[in-house]
Amino acid sequence: MSQTVIPVGPFHPLLEEAEFFKIHVDGETVTGIDTDIGYMHRGHEFISERKTFTQSIFLVERICGICSTSHPLAFVHAVEDVDNIEIPVRAAYIRTLIGELERIHSHLLWLGLAGHFIGYDTLWMWAWKYREPVLEIFETITGNRNHYGMMRVGGVARDVPPEAVPALLETLGMIERKMAMIAKAAADDPVLRSRLKGVGVLSRQAAIDYCAVGPTARASGLAIDVRKDEPKDAYGLVDFKAIVLENGDVYDKLVVRVLETFESIKIVRQCLDKLKTAPGPILNDVKEVTAGEGIGRYEAPRGEVFHYVRTDGSNRPLRHKVRAPSYVNIPTCEASCMGIPLADALITLAAIDPCYCCTERAVHLVDARGVRIAPDLLQLSREKTERLRRDIHG
Amino acid sequence: MAEKDPILGGLEGKIGRTLAKKGRFFFEVADGNLPDVARHLFVTSGCRLSTATATETHRGLEVLYHFSHDATGRYYSPRVVMTDRDRPKMRSIAPIVKGAEWIEREMAELFGITFEGHPRPERLLTKDHPKTPDRPLRLRRTP
Repeated sequence: MSQTVIPVGPFHPLLEEAEFFKIHVDGETVTGIDTDIGYMHRGHEFISERKTFTQSIFLVERICGICSTSHPLAFVHAVEDVDNIEIPVRAAYIRTLIGELERIHSHLLWLGLAGHFIGYDTLWMWAWKYREPVLEIFETITGNRNHYGMMRVGGVARDVPPEAVPALLETLGMIERKMAMIAKAAADDPVLRSRLKGVGVLSRQAAIDYCAVGPTARASGLAIDVRKDEPKDAYGLVDFKAIVLENGDVYDKLVVRVLETFESIKIVRQCLDKLKTAPGPILNDVKEVTAGEGIGRYEAPRGEVFHYVRTDGSNRPLRHKVRAPSYVNIPTCEASCMGIPLADALITLAAIDPCYCCTERAVHLVDARGVRIAPDLLQLSREKTERLRRDIHG
Repeated sequence: MAEKDPILGGLEGKIGRTLAKKGRFFFEVADGNLPDVARHLFVTSGCRLSTATATETHRGLEVLYHFSHDATGRYYSPRVVMTDRDRPKMRSIAPIVKGAEWIEREMAELFGITFEGHPRPERLLTKDHPKTPDRPLRLRRTP
């Protein structure tokens, strides 16, 4: 059987980060996928072992620009796990608030990119338009649109002033209404449904075998969510549902993320309500961290972020291990891309919401004549949507 | 606490010194018992492999696997210690746990550990690198 290898990388046509997928195709059908990582290896673990715990928070925050609070949160959980350090209740609500706001903006970002990918630029513009107010909320609370610098071992760095809460609730109400509009428009669209339904299916068994996490696993019927399995911070104190669907296709991954956004809005509202009245300090003074081992994790928008810290009684980690969700989710593409047409491969790769700089490592395609073919693959994906649109609407 | 845990109960005789604290179990495993322990945790008990950590210690090199039992939120971490610094080798669990493929390749590359029985013993980070590093990059002491 003759086989062609299409290089997708190391600069991805959509995600603008470095990762190299070698897609093996037989005609139009994908027969295998080989991933090369290592383009963005920055030695965070090594650097962290030379920084104090507080300095490391700023370092791990820069592992990823999108989930920039998930890594610090998992890291402080790991350090707190060494000594069973407790945090004040007000700090717990603030941590959960920041974590959930981040999920809203991250899911909106993905929704926009997915729309752009299949030729739905309206969805992309809507999603990104309404992502802006979320970032403005961040700016109000933390002073930054990204890289908030809020987490500390033993609590958080800055308080949310109670007088700011009513305005934040108002903005949140607007985001919820717009989100409902986008969700309804997407759910009612027959083209979107037929374009994504049954595409890039990741079976339940494959999700277990590859140890998949986050929305990728939950769309395949695995009920795993760190927020439910090991409720830290305020997750034990707020009411929310973990969204689990069965089909494992791109459509279900989209639905999981959209429904999760609504759950996040629910959590943020509860946290803001509590912050009007929750008393107390926001940071416990941690004098020392004893020698030991700690495991910390947090449900980032893409899945479980894992940090392991070994300490020796000094103010810096002896060993710090970081595992981002995309590191376990990207290999699942081997299973989900198998046998699908090439036009569906890009959206399937994008459906896990990969974060290469987390994994630590996207794509300009170059064919044998040295011509860039990345836009062609994107074109292929968009043309398929257009064909479906003509078939359905006539 | 360690004796009462139902999952660790099924591993009696196969695991060594166990450190237990709130929802975390760190225990030592001899290299020969690792596939059985991995099978018990992953296949029988339905744990998920989060990742693995290799560390250089005064005893030699150690590899710590992190299995998460999501139904209870507990972590089971079998630890394999290799005292032979010059040629560290141990059994691979990738034939049992597919999710361990990447992390074992990474550990092999950065720490120079040979994982016996790994289905695809290639470099992960510097596979097509124009100048392949001539030594394991994370080791402080050159083997």
